[in-house]
Amino acid sequence: MNNNFTFEGKQKSILLSGIGLGIVCMVLTFFMGDHGAVRFWSNFLHNSVFFTGIAYTALFVIAAFTTAYAGWFIVIKRIWEAISLFLVVGLVLMMVIAVGLWMGYHDLYHWGIHGVADVNSETYDALIAGKSAFLNKGWYTFGTLAIVGSWIFFAQKLRSLSVAEDDYTVGDYGIHKKIKVWTAVFLPIGAFTSSAIIWLWVMSVDSHWYSTLYAWYATASWWVSCLCLTILIILYLKSKNYLQGVTVEHMHDLGKLTFAFSIFWTYLWFSQFMLIWYSNVGEETIYFRERMDNYPVLFWGNLALNFILPFFILMRNDTKRKMGSLAIAALVVLFGHWIDFFLMLKPGILHTQHYLPGNHGEAHHDAGGHEGAGHGAEHVSDAVAGFTMPGLLEIGTFIGFLCLFLFVVYTHISKASLLPKNDPYVEESLHHHS
Amino acid sequence: MSAVVSKIREPLVTGSKTYHQITEDLVGPTEKTPSVEWIIGFIIALSCLGFGVFSIAWTIWFGIGSWDLNRTIGWGWDITNFVWWVGIGHAGTLISAILLLFRQKWRTGVNRAAEAMTIFAVICAALFPGIHVGRAWVVFFFFPYPNTRGPLWVNFNSPLLWDLFAISTYFTVSLLFWYTGLVPDFATVRDRAKGIRKKLYDVLAFGWTGSAKHWQRWESLSLILAGLATPLVLSVHTIVSFDFATSVIPGWHTTIFPPYFVAGAIFSGFAMVLTLMIITRKILNLQDYITIAHIESMNKVILLTGSMVGVAYLTELFVAWYSGYVYEQFAFYNRALGPYWWSYFGMMTCNVITPQFFWSKKIRRNLNWTFALSIVVNIGMWFERFVIIATTLARDYLPSSWSYYVPTWVEVGIYIGTIGIFFTFYLLFTRIAPVVAIAEIKSILKAGGNQYVGENATHHKEHAH
Repeated sequence: MNNNFTFEGKQKSILLSGIGLGIVCMVLTFFMGDHGAVRFWSNFLHNSVFFTGIAYTALFVIAAFTTAYAGWFIVIKRIWEAISLFLVVGLVLMMVIAVGLWMGYHDLYHWGIHGVADVNSETYDALIAGKSAFLNKGWYTFGTLAIVGSWIFFAQKLRSLSVAEDDYTVGDYGIHKKIKVWTAVFLPIGAFTSSAIIWLWVMSVDSHWYSTLYAWYATASWWVSCLCLTILIILYLKSKNYLQGVTVEHMHDLGKLTFAFSIFWTYLWFSQFMLIWYSNVGEETIYFRERMDNYPVLFWGNLALNFILPFFILMRNDTKRKMGSLAIAALVVLFGHWIDFFLMLKPGILHTQHYLPGNHGEAHHDAGGHEGAGHGAEHVSDAVAGFTMPGLLEIGTFIGFLCLFLFVVYTHISKASLLPKNDPYVEESLHHHS
Repeated sequence: MSAVVSKIREPLVTGSKTYHQITEDLVGPTEKTPSVEWIIGFIIALSCLGFGVFSIAWTIWFGIGSWDLNRTIGWGWDITNFVWWVGIGHAGTLISAILLLFRQKWRTGVNRAAEAMTIFAVICAALFPGIHVGRAWVVFFFFPYPNTRGPLWVNFNSPLLWDLFAISTYFTVSLLFWYTGLVPDFATVRDRAKGIRKKLYDVLAFGWTGSAKHWQRWESLSLILAGLATPLVLSVHTIVSFDFATSVIPGWHTTIFPPYFVAGAIFSGFAMVLTLMIITRKILNLQDYITIAHIESMNKVILLTGSMVGVAYLTELFVAWYSGYVYEQFAFYNRALGPYWWSYFGMMTCNVITPQFFWSKKIRRNLNWTFALSIVVNIGMWFERFVIIATTLARDYLPSSWSYYVPTWVEVGIYIGTIGIFFTFYLLFTRIAPVVAIAEIKSILKAGGNQYVGENATHHKEHAH
């Protein structure tokens, strides 16, 4: 059994060219000329949030499974460890957004507009002023640094303990006991901080709007994406003759988790939508009104990709045990949740452009005018690539980020054995029957 | 069965049991005359039940005015108790269905009793909607059927009606699931019984012979019911939460309610399972089947769900401030510092703070602590429902309608009555059925018995890989 993955030059060049494609697309997007480079910055935020969150959920699930005495996942644990280490890159990406906020490079957040909390300012907004103790540049920067920084600390701690366990031959499971303590400590920290970070990064693009369920909903979206990426990475590694200890039983379980958590995501989607729709409070329904009117294909497509397709593809026993159907489901759902984050972010960001000085309501229907396509796109019924739907440049940017993500993950995978051979549950995992 | 089990897993069955000993230990309690403790407990439970019946009769005879509800506070102890009982009824199906799907072997020690509790708790819960409408003799109006009352149908748009469907479905599936598990065990009891007892258990066992075909069908039915029951665990309390969250009342209308109600329900359900199992295992000598490891696992579930509920409370508080909506902000200010501050304080202490003691392994494995904290959790979860219902309603939009509510003896009597119903049924259950699922314990013996796994295993595996 070959447990040491070699990250070959050929694989590196493929991924590097993918990253190159992403950079080209981002440069093109930047110079396409929409005012304020809204399209560029929103794509940057969208992909950074998406992949950083996936890394976070990988860390969280290692902690949760370890605390719950799970044995089956040990043979794939190293994949999740590698994914969790992408948090370092994620922090850098999110700091770019934070720096942009300070320097005024972008107007992604309504609350970030200069003077929004100043009663004498042209851009004053009473509601946002009330939230400015939380929604401000300092807290955004500090919160991101402190929270993602603490996640990185735990990710590296757990990784180094896990790798050290490979050479630990004492047989008293001393390192495993340490891992259990660190994972238990991380669980409440991770659970509380992820909510705060989602409010800051994602929910606050619709600065007036709020929903208590939102953070759990976004976390579920990240976690399902993480499962899909895990399935795809494992299938790739298996095709290269690695991970022979990962059998169809483990894939079946990952398929079951994808199936179950797709339904769980839908449950949260439905709960949030139904309660807001039923109560019909204008301040709340505006969130869905905006998306249903201006993003109808994505809005309903979101449900098709993330619920209907995985539900029907993965319901049967055999489709979870056949790698073709499992891979298709994973690809569909991964893309589906990327769309989900597109829908969480873009409409709010575009709407914010109205509030910029000089962009007041009068110019609403002036699509393509001096405010740029982003501003106008919100109000035309046609789909506008990059604004009301992902265009080719968005797909290219996504591929770029995905390749960066995979590059980082494969680099970490290659640095340690694929099998945590001294984990107390490794034999259980190797003989796993679902 | 050649399960590979890690050395650091604790055994799930101790005392180096043989299959025969398991049968003896678990069928035994149904074959002996009841102990003095059981008789005293039964008399107390039956008295409470009797007082409950009296209070319900009082309510029906004198009318709902014998409760202290008023125009501002239209829901009080009745709906608080309803939600509390439904919540308690969640652990059984969670343990039997979700933990079955997740292959958690420790479920076998407690699933039977937890499922029984589910049934009894749902019965207690279902009582309240029936009597709180005031005219108990027309409760059949709840059900949508073509009737002679003209075009008078139930309101399909109302979450209260969805509740009726959700709870009756849940009750049906839980009952089937429980009974399916009981069939092979009733057959075991039957095979040892004589005379009239044998005839009765023969009826209960549906002619089970233990043939391969029977087991095969039993296995598939269990899996199908588990598949059906899993979404039901989530749906029931979700729909109970819709009773509140679909409204436009600040404090009720919040999107986190569905998952947070489910977490709270599992939280209180496990607490009740612990309260009962700690007593049951002692009185029936089940320490080898419900081990300290089982109790520790359940305490971890309590710590997890208690913390989830804590995250939800803080989310609500934060978002109330964040919303910038004065009524929302007032609703939460009023919860914490209004006239019912004591119930909010009780809720926070009992549900969020005290379960944090379970971070300590010593406390998780200590029976006295566990017993005390499980009761604290149940008190806390009762407070939670009271906070949501009474505290919110007490402060209407119009200050002239503001009110305060204390229950009358009738309302308290009905609550005591439901506790009586619950314990009467539970005590009868311990006499009639094996409290621990015999067939399921036997199925995990080789993967969980202390002679096979753990540090002191004597039967070492021959096959090495």
